[in-house]
Amino acid sequence: MLDANIELIAHLLRRAGFGANRQELAHYQSMGYEATVEELLVPKDEQRLSDYLIRRFHPELSGMMGPLASGENWLYRMATTNAPLREKMTLFWHGIFATGYNKVIHGKALSDQTRMFRKHATGSFRTLLLELSRDPAMIIWLDNQDNHKGSINENYGRELLELFSMGVGNYTEQDIRECARAFTGWTIANREYMELRSQRDSDWPYGRISWHFEFHPEDHDEGEKEFLGERGTFNGEDIIDIICKQPATARFISRHLYSFFVADEPPVPEWPFTPPADQEAIDTLSQVYFEQDYNIGAMLRVLFNSDFFKAEEARYRKVKSPVELVAGVLRLTGEFDRPRYEILERFSQASYMGQILNNPPSVEGWHTGTDWLDSGTLVERINFASKQIGDATKPGIGSMVDRIASEMQKSDSPEMLVDACLEEVGALAIDEDTRRILVEFSGRGSRGEHRQHIADLLRMVAATQEFQRA
Amino acid sequence: MTTTANTTTQETGFLVYDRAVGMTVMEGKGFYYPVDTVAGNDDRLYVINRSKEETVRGIRVTICDRNGGYHGNFGGYGFDGGQFIWPACGAVDSRGRFYISDERLNRVTAYDPTGNYLFHWGQAGSGPGELDTPSGLAFDREDNIYVADAYNHRVQKFTAGGEFVSVIGAEGPGAVSLPWGVATDGQDNVYVADFGNDCIKKFSAGGEFLARFGECGRGDGQFTKPASVVVDQDGYIYVADWGNERVQVLDSGGNFVAMLRGEGTISDWAANFLSINQEEAAARSTANLEMEIDYVTDDPHEESSHIEKYFWCPASVCLDSQGYLYVTETNRHRIQVYRRGR
Repeated sequence: MLDANIELIAHLLRRAGFGANRQELAHYQSMGYEATVEELLVPKDEQRLSDYLIRRFHPELSGMMGPLASGENWLYRMATTNAPLREKMTLFWHGIFATGYNKVIHGKALSDQTRMFRKHATGSFRTLLLELSRDPAMIIWLDNQDNHKGSINENYGRELLELFSMGVGNYTEQDIRECARAFTGWTIANREYMELRSQRDSDWPYGRISWHFEFHPEDHDEGEKEFLGERGTFNGEDIIDIICKQPATARFISRHLYSFFVADEPPVPEWPFTPPADQEAIDTLSQVYFEQDYNIGAMLRVLFNSDFFKAEEARYRKVKSPVELVAGVLRLTGEFDRPRYEILERFSQASYMGQILNNPPSVEGWHTGTDWLDSGTLVERINFASKQIGDATKPGIGSMVDRIASEMQKSDSPEMLVDACLEEVGALAIDEDTRRILVEFSGRGSRGEHRQHIADLLRMVAATQEFQRA
Repeated sequence: MTTTANTTTQETGFLVYDRAVGMTVMEGKGFYYPVDTVAGNDDRLYVINRSKEETVRGIRVTICDRNGGYHGNFGGYGFDGGQFIWPACGAVDSRGRFYISDERLNRVTAYDPTGNYLFHWGQAGSGPGELDTPSGLAFDREDNIYVADAYNHRVQKFTAGGEFVSVIGAEGPGAVSLPWGVATDGQDNVYVADFGNDCIKKFSAGGEFLARFGECGRGDGQFTKPASVVVDQDGYIYVADWGNERVQVLDSGGNFVAMLRGEGTISDWAANFLSINQEEAAARSTANLEMEIDYVTDDPHEESSHIEKYFWCPASVCLDSQGYLYVTETNRHRIQVYRRGR
């Protein structure tokens, strides 16, 4: 049976990362739980597949003229980084500030937005909102280039309040209009040309040209505004200051963090009508939000060290998103120790399961939890995981098989072989029914083809419901 | 603003900008992620288009010339003879036959000067004569071909028909890491763009390590992930300093001579596009594509993604018989042409 400490660290790595294999877990266990949390929050020396190598062998992953390149580039990072929380938090913000290729039509702009999320992922929420408001992809996504002095476009102002910071029920329609006025003149440089290229998906004559933010003071409404009960000649930065000090904002971000890292909450539109599953946890995180100057990393530190996160009943309660599942599998297979042609096929697998990075279904992002699962996507998920994890030609899987084969005696019981496989894929804890099936399969194996049998058993492990969950 | 066709040149000292060739096109007259250019018979240019993995379109060799002449294309996506998956680099032998390396299929394919498939050779592996991600190609005067065997971290020498001859740069002080471009000079010395070690390495025709030029960095004479190298008849060494988004020139002793950041203007093909698509041309004419920006990183790759005239992923340098230098920019789908100013 598995060690309780290993199981707890495995839980942490499934949530704060994309899972970890046996060797990684042993490394983190030697550090201890709290030190592991710190290492995840403040990585000392990030190692991952070099951008130069990715760029050399996949020009499109930096030129980004198609709809998939920014996501593929990101998947490489998720699959190879030793600082997984940074990518997990980047994914978290992408899910909230969901921005999609189908309107932006500029992979580089989306990749730049991802980079911005990564940079500010665990820092001040105020800084993040400010950078978000200046982000060219977001400006185009929510039409702020059409938000002019005397002729406002409310789109960004509305979503900033509804989906990005406070949630409905905490502001008025007048607040939305005043918010929009404050962001007039926040646009992108060379707006006309860049917008036209985007609308036409034009790469002519010389490929993508990166976008950047530009403030047009002549187009900014300097007039007095009344916003959330305060009055002044507010600009966008002032508006963000006011938003950040609202209790509703603290609750909103806390609930998002809880939903992403602890247990799935209902979709955001239901929040005004459905109380949180754990109000006390939300209150705790909200308190940290204010005490630590809106610092997201401080909230995560408290979350990961909390009893509500560590609790047995919190484990395997979350359904991995398709991208989390794919990234986790690729980390186990170790396939992308170098750029490989197959990255596109692996990336495409997540789309068959219902998620295309940088192309969410709407500004609301993806509906998560069990909404990821239907009869079609579940088959895709199981087939993908089983095929990859059962393939001993992949370096990571081959190493697992070798270790198990060398450590196990032929006389060892089927139960011991199952335990060894569960430990290798990340200290996976399974229920009794699943265990009985795996042991039965384990006992049927041919000792003459021991390595293949281990690979087949790993394939079965990847098909379990626990492997699909985090 | 750079919306007029090639009508002027700009003095850069050692090298003078001449013109741009090409534009972004998936099929036909243009380029799509070009990764290498080779000057063949009559200075016809063979431009290798890598394209992208999400489509089988765009992947081909374009035949054109410095004056904007388009002479067709050949090859395409596939596993059969004459096709390729990850085309990387090219070279032309003394008979004008064009060779191309394929980093995915681990082989080298030969065509006649008009692009008709002749034969291919190569086998995946790490043993003598086997290949793991073959990149740069260069012929010596005897029509032996050098192949940068990237993931085997060596350069191999073959006959033009693919018979293994020898290995260089596999070990010792001349050991290379992830070599990309390779070139020979008039004495059959071999130059390797040592991508992993951020330098250029020079070997004798017999394979003896002779010199290392440069070190990792962004200063004069330093390199970041060099992609390609070529040597002119005077011994000047031209390097596509790919990770620094520039081209550097060294003298035969490896001393810094000149640096180019790129001066791309509108090519004839691009001018034609803009003359037809007047709405885009009008919007472009009001845009400032050389704006000063506070960049998020100090990586010139970022700057090049914003400033269109600069090199963006200069993956190849090539000289024709008249001494024109062709700089192939993968992410700009363009070739910038320079000539000697002094």
